[in-house]
Amino acid sequence: MKLSRRCFLSFVVGGAAGTALSPLPWKLTDDLSIWSQNWSWTPVPPDGEYTQVNSTCTLCPGGCGIGIRKAGKRAVKIEGLAGHPVNDGGVCLLGLSGLQLLYGPARVKTPLKRTGKRGGGQWQAISWKQAIKEVTEKLKELRKKNQPQSLASIGPNGSGTVSALISRFMKAYGSSNDMKMASKLDSDEQALFLTQGIQNGMVGADVENADFILSFGCAVLDGYGSPVRMFRANSRWKENSATLIQIEPRQSNTAAKADQWLPINPGGEADLALAMANIIIKENLYNSSFVSDNCDGLNSFVQMLYENYMPEDAARRIGIDVQTIIDLAHRFATAARPLAINGYGKGQNPSNLKETLAIHALNALVGNIGKKGGITGLSAYDYIRWPKVVTDTVAAAGLKESRLDGAGTNAFPHAKSLPNRFFDKLSAGNTSIQALLVAEANPCYSMPDTAKIKRVFDSIPFIVSFSSFMDETAMMADLILPNHTFLERYEDVPVKAGLTAPIVGLCRPAVEPQWDTLDLGDALIRIAQSIGGSVGAAFPWKNYKTCLKQTLADQWKDLEKKGYWMPSQSLQADADSKNKAGGKSGRYVLMDGTLETIYMAQDAPLEGDSRSYSMLLMPYDTIRITSLQIGAPPFVMKTVPDTVLKGQDGFIEINKKEATEMGFKQGQAVIVTTPIGEARVRVHLSSGLAPGVIAMPRGLGHTAYDDYLAGKGVNINQLIGPVEDPASGLDTALGIRAKLAKA
Amino acid sequence: MDSALIPEGVKRCSLWKFLLALSITSGVLLWGVIAMLLCWIKGLNQTNMNDYYGFALWIWADLAVIALGGGAFFSGLLKYIIGKDELKNLINYAVLIGFICYSSALLILAIDVGQPMRSWFIFWHANIHSMLTEVAFCLSCYFAVLTIEYIPLILENRQINKVPFFHHLAHNMHGVMAIFAATGAFLSFFHQGSLGGVAGVLFGRPFAFRDHILIWPYTFFLFTWSAAAFGPCFTLFITWMTEKITRKKLVKDKPILLLAKISGWMIVTYMVVKSIDTWYWATHTAPSLGFNWEFFFKNNPLYGKTMLFSEIILGGWIPGLLLIFRPTRENSVTRTTAFFLGMAGVCINRWVMVLQTMAVPVMSFDSWAMYIPSWQEVATTILPVAYGVILVMISYRYLPIFPQEKELNPIEGSAGSVDKQVGQTPAGDDSPLQPAQI
Amino acid sequence: MKQEHTQHRSKRYGMVIDLDKCTGCGACMVACFSENNVPFKKDETDKRLSITWMKVYRIDNGRDFPNNQVCYIPRPCQHCAGQHEGHSPCVSVCPATATDYSRETGIVSQIYTRCFGCRYCMGACPYHARYFNWWDPVWPEGMEKYLSPNVSPRMRGVVEKCSFCFHRYQLARDKAYANRRKDVKEADYQTACTQACPAGAITFGDLNNPGHAVHQIVKPNDHVVKNKAGISIIGKSQNPNVFRMLERLGTNTKVYYLSSREWVRKAGDNYIADEKPEDMFAEQKKH
Ligand SMILES: Nc1nc2c(c(=O)[nH]1)N[C@H]1C(S)=C(S)[C@@H](COP(=O)(O)OP(=O)(O)OC[C@H]3O[C@@H](n4cnc5c(=O)[nH]c(N)nc54)[C@H](O)[C@@H]3O)O[C@H]1N2
Ligand SMILES: Nc1nc2c(c(=O)[nH]1)N[C@H]1C(S)=C(S)[C@@H](COP(=O)(O)OP(=O)(O)OC[C@H]3O[C@@H](n4cnc5c(=O)[nH]c(N)nc54)[C@H](O)[C@@H]3O)O[C@H]1N2
Ligand code: SF4
Ligand code: SF4
Ligand code: SF4
Ligand code: SF4
Ligand code: SF4
Ligand SMILES: [Mo]
Repeated sequence: MKLSRRCFLSFVVGGAAGTALSPLPWKLTDDLSIWSQNWSWTPVPPDGEYTQVNSTCTLCPGGCGIGIRKAGKRAVKIEGLAGHPVNDGGVCLLGLSGLQLLYGPARVKTPLKRTGKRGGGQWQAISWKQAIKEVTEKLKELRKKNQPQSLASIGPNGSGTVSALISRFMKAYGSSNDMKMASKLDSDEQALFLTQGIQNGMVGADVENADFILSFGCAVLDGYGSPVRMFRANSRWKENSATLIQIEPRQSNTAAKADQWLPINPGGEADLALAMANIIIKENLYNSSFVSDNCDGLNSFVQMLYENYMPEDAARRIGIDVQTIIDLAHRFATAARPLAINGYGKGQNPSNLKETLAIHALNALVGNIGKKGGITGLSAYDYIRWPKVVTDTVAAAGLKESRLDGAGTNAFPHAKSLPNRFFDKLSAGNTSIQALLVAEANPCYSMPDTAKIKRVFDSIPFIVSFSSFMDETAMMADLILPNHTFLERYEDVPVKAGLTAPIVGLCRPAVEPQWDTLDLGDALIRIAQSIGGSVGAAFPWKNYKTCLKQTLADQWKDLEKKGYWMPSQSLQADADSKNKAGGKSGRYVLMDGTLETIYMAQDAPLEGDSRSYSMLLMPYDTIRITSLQIGAPPFVMKTVPDTVLKGQDGFIEINKKEATEMGFKQGQAVIVTTPIGEARVRVHLSSGLAPGVIAMPRGLGHTAYDDYLAGKGVNINQLIGPVEDPASGLDTALGIRAKLAKA
Repeated sequence: MDSALIPEGVKRCSLWKFLLALSITSGVLLWGVIAMLLCWIKGLNQTNMNDYYGFALWIWADLAVIALGGGAFFSGLLKYIIGKDELKNLINYAVLIGFICYSSALLILAIDVGQPMRSWFIFWHANIHSMLTEVAFCLSCYFAVLTIEYIPLILENRQINKVPFFHHLAHNMHGVMAIFAATGAFLSFFHQGSLGGVAGVLFGRPFAFRDHILIWPYTFFLFTWSAAAFGPCFTLFITWMTEKITRKKLVKDKPILLLAKISGWMIVTYMVVKSIDTWYWATHTAPSLGFNWEFFFKNNPLYGKTMLFSEIILGGWIPGLLLIFRPTRENSVTRTTAFFLGMAGVCINRWVMVLQTMAVPVMSFDSWAMYIPSWQEVATTILPVAYGVILVMISYRYLPIFPQEKELNPIEGSAGSVDKQVGQTPAGDDSPLQPAQI
Repeated sequence: MKQEHTQHRSKRYGMVIDLDKCTGCGACMVACFSENNVPFKKDETDKRLSITWMKVYRIDNGRDFPNNQVCYIPRPCQHCAGQHEGHSPCVSVCPATATDYSRETGIVSQIYTRCFGCRYCMGACPYHARYFNWWDPVWPEGMEKYLSPNVSPRMRGVVEKCSFCFHRYQLARDKAYANRRKDVKEADYQTACTQACPAGAITFGDLNNPGHAVHQIVKPNDHVVKNKAGISIIGKSQNPNVFRMLERLGTNTKVYYLSSREWVRKAGDNYIADEKPEDMFAEQKKH
């Protein structure tokens, strides 16, 4: 066969054209593209009718209004509610991640009973009927033995019905060992009583209207108070050219964004405030009409200041020069609406009373108690008006036994609950607690010296957790009776986080319960009723929702409609009109016998000796890591910078120059050792940290939850121990002595 | 055993030895194939590429291989268009190397893209403004051309050629080869250029960005020029290596020296232009975008001024000069050194245009991004090398690649016949591989 | 169709982020993750493999303690217009037209199902605003329930980036049509990050519309100016505290930043030796 050139060309062209015109290549390529665009393993979210449920976020005490967007039955997005008095549309990263908690893998999906050894993570799924029965039997048994006081509870520090139901249960059952997790709210509450005579009160700060804000280490921009509200206030300060001064050794976000960052030696807050007070009084810069009309004890206060808090001495102690203090005092006292705020970090730890009082004394001296842009003492929420608990003889006898933590005793007359002392007692060998109920708290993670706390848990024979999530404390329980999450339940949310006007938000179900969980309120009602007798009688409600509806009676309709209720539009207005400090007497106590003792007391020393532990380890709070209520969901973890967490390694911050002198390089592994424990971390060299201080974030180092959180970084509570404030009994540790060595 | 397949009049190693060598290279190939499959099945997470290094080792390998493969189009251009007939003795090998380079480049691209099954979207939804579109079109077309240029070579196999159809096919293909060579040169000009354009148009990347002539940034022309200049170095270097490995002289000095000389002049002229370009970039382009040129060579562990020196002086001017001066060109050591340096130079150029471009921080607060390829990337990058070696081995063994081989390596024992052949057809002019003669 | 376009002025959606107000809280990042079905992995600490359409950078003034100053810079896609509207760094290079510039809105789109993952666009974007799906997106069992039907989850092997929440524009446009309005209202089209920002630091709207807040803050120049390198700058802000990132490259972004601090404004671009931002247009000023 001879192939001519022509023949060859037609062969080639013909072949190409033939193939191209056949359906084959087109079909094939089309299939390829369709196929590669529709992998079966890439989900296609089903559509559905779009609706929105308005509710309240309970993931932190902020009390933001949220709208949950739904597609069909699924919740697909959480947004801030525009027009809501707390957050007006803004929302924080944790609130935005709420759906990951709802649908996440860390949920406890059904009641669980421990099978293996405690903490071993072996569980058997049981029915609610059995779960209630098991709890009831155990609790009945203790009462039968006339030991109701051997039941203890640890619950949230809230003012709503859930917290109240737990307390009511404890009372009806017959135990006064009703612990509430402590926070800055506790120290504020005690200070409020000592200065203004307001019992169980809370402190409102009109931050929005202040024009010179002196923040003593408050994480204003990292989750302090009601976080979104604080962000909004900060933006208002910028718009109004208000001044924010941040006092703390570490350049937190707040320090970074403040008009001035004043790094002082850790723990120097009271010294600084009192030295400023000294200057303000000496130079006659204080609001004399307010002070003379409303304050008691000025003379003895002044005397105490002159004796103990001369600016020069204070300056030496806190590591800044006198002139800075003097300038600060001048600027504060001469500002139109100055405001001093207190509470370290997010306020998760109580502050010591001396510091709290000192900072508030500054507010009193410039006369901004109960004023626009000032501080207001608010009385407690009092909408829960249930009939008094009628106790039987067993309960009455049990209630006569004193609380293990000593709260309310002569030593700590104003304390309501001192969980740190509770655990200290048990750790020291007290065996009087036979059963423990834990609700909405995770002490095995969030209390200092977690190893100790866990040992205590190990020694308690019967532990019930009501946690929605498999957290560290739930891991230590014998029974888990999982609560609905905030997106599946009703709850009243009275906001205490520093707002100037009380607000009760309504949390309501956005979706059907996803798993076999039960509202904590319902679980308590069922347990009480199944114990029966006077305990059951104290819980006369059909279910929690009925209880809530009845409690809120007149407000319920409004709440359902608006999503929140403001019990009295503005307490601040009341205070203003009287031009008084507020409270029962309308007076502010600058100094009396009790306060004098507090002011004159030596600060509780830090744990560890400064020779072998040359540095000070401080926890810091960041909005990018949740450190309390809830373990950080994946979205939140995704925002954590790689100078805080890299792989599974957590970082410790250290002053850059100091680290270089010590021979540490960025990212290098080190061992941090404290009198409590040691951990392996990496160093992050920072230009924003005072020499001598090292800092680690709260919120890492979880051992429970899921793979998106567990095992990442180090839990700082492993390294620090409690430091009891002799004045309040509260744990006010601001850090611990520590040393670093190459790993 | 396979002697029937081996071209007449040449000697090849034993089949046993050949198969052993083949299996060793195939082992390497297999390693690469495994890595390639991992990348396809598990995805590009198998690499160490990341959002800063969207283009990394592979794209460098692609650019490098295409630059080195430039010997094919340039020799073709010289032979068919300019009429440097002497190069016919090299052109087969140049085509083969080009074919290997371009097929490798396409394979690498097919592994490199995230959705290989849709890579034809580049044609279907083509964005004519994109340099990559230009690259894709020209690259595929030129690959087709190289295939067409390579096919007649295959058909020259002793057994295949016996089939009349293939014989005539080969004959016809040779007949039109000049057209293809011209097309190839034209296409090559564009795709080499558009590969240069890929980096040069990135006006968000001041390290790579260049001012434009018409629609093309300077790098467009620099890439074409450098491929033409350094591609022959690679062809010649591989030829030299083949000779070393086979322990035979395969190509006479004349065509080699000719190509080396042309390459030398291409390199030197390229270096003049490249130096002007670098100077202009350093003193005008970079500063106008807010950068002191030294910024690009500081504060990072890899890209120092040594890199610039290596590319321009060591890998540019020096080989260029070595090749244009007769004494160093004719000295096989300096000549081969020059080939090697030239190859290294162009590879460094392609490396910095891809990887340093990605490494340089552009936002003032960003930092240098360093990158170490994963084994999967290394293996898939070596895969084409192994494939190339195999193709060369097979082609060399079974195809009459080197027209002068017979003449230069008379087989002992049949010396007479070879002599006769040589006598009849000096310089192997009647080699069936010389289509223009048919 | 064409007539309609010329009849009413096209929109140029853009943003201005007040860096004085931004606290670096990261809510914008998470708002974006949750609005746009952004996937996540067990380990997100390798930031070069972590998909964050909105990324908050932390920058500092480089000084030692205690003179260190910090600023946060949230960075969505800058929706660059390029030297002439539509010649964005990324759009101009995409070989498959999988990312496109809308002349109607000024938004740079990304078509996931067309993108074949060549990543050229990523190399082109100096802001690192583009992210590649190195992995198949995987949600822990049950968590895919929260995925929004408005935004399709992306498959492995394609690039994704901030879309200015384009689906919200579509919804707003549908709403406008339903109400027989020609124009989308400012309040009807706001991005998820803008809405969520607790500091109210982000302002979003049509830069071409003098009624929109973003226009009033940015005060964009309505004519093109050339900087001293001869690069065309479109929409240059006339507010001395407003700057754009890498403005001198001529990317002509539609995300503006506002800062009262000079070092922050300077960090937005690169300057050699003692150049100052004001010098960029020195020659223009003389005229
Ligand atoms: N993301 C995130 N955010 C969080 C949290 C979290 O885990 N994650 N945690 C949250 C928690 S647990 C808390 S407790 C809050 C902290 O914040 P909160 O404790 O909820 O309340 P504050 O807003 O700090 O308001 C307290 C104010 O009262 C003033 N004050 C204190 N004592 C007195 C006094 O005796 N008299 C007068 N007149 N005034 C006084 C103080 O100056 C202070 O300004 O932060 C919350 N924010
Ligand atoms: N070391 C240390 N101790 C502290 C503080 C500190 O900062 N450090 N801060 C103090 C402060 S301010 C506080 S408020 C307390 C808080 O007390 P903690 O014990 O620290 O609070 P959490 O750990 O957050 O406990 C909340 C528990 O409820 C679960 N949970 C989360 N969401 C829900 C839900 O919707 N429903 C239910 N039923 N459970 C849920 C969580 O899994 C967790 O187990 O701790 C105080 N103690
Ligand atoms: S600030 Fe607190 S209440 Fe508000 S959205 Fe965030 S977690 Fe929820
Ligand atoms: S949400 Fe607002 S304040 Fe927070 S980081 Fe983003 S822009 Fe800044
Ligand atoms: S920021 Fe990057 S991705 Fe966005 S338009 Fe500009 S170049 Fe493209
Ligand atoms: S990765 Fe996708 S969008 Fe980017 S250039 Fe390639 S095809 Fe276009
Ligand atoms: S505009 Fe929308 S897509 Fe872009 S960063 Fe903000 S939330 Fe994400
Ligand atoms: Mo709290």
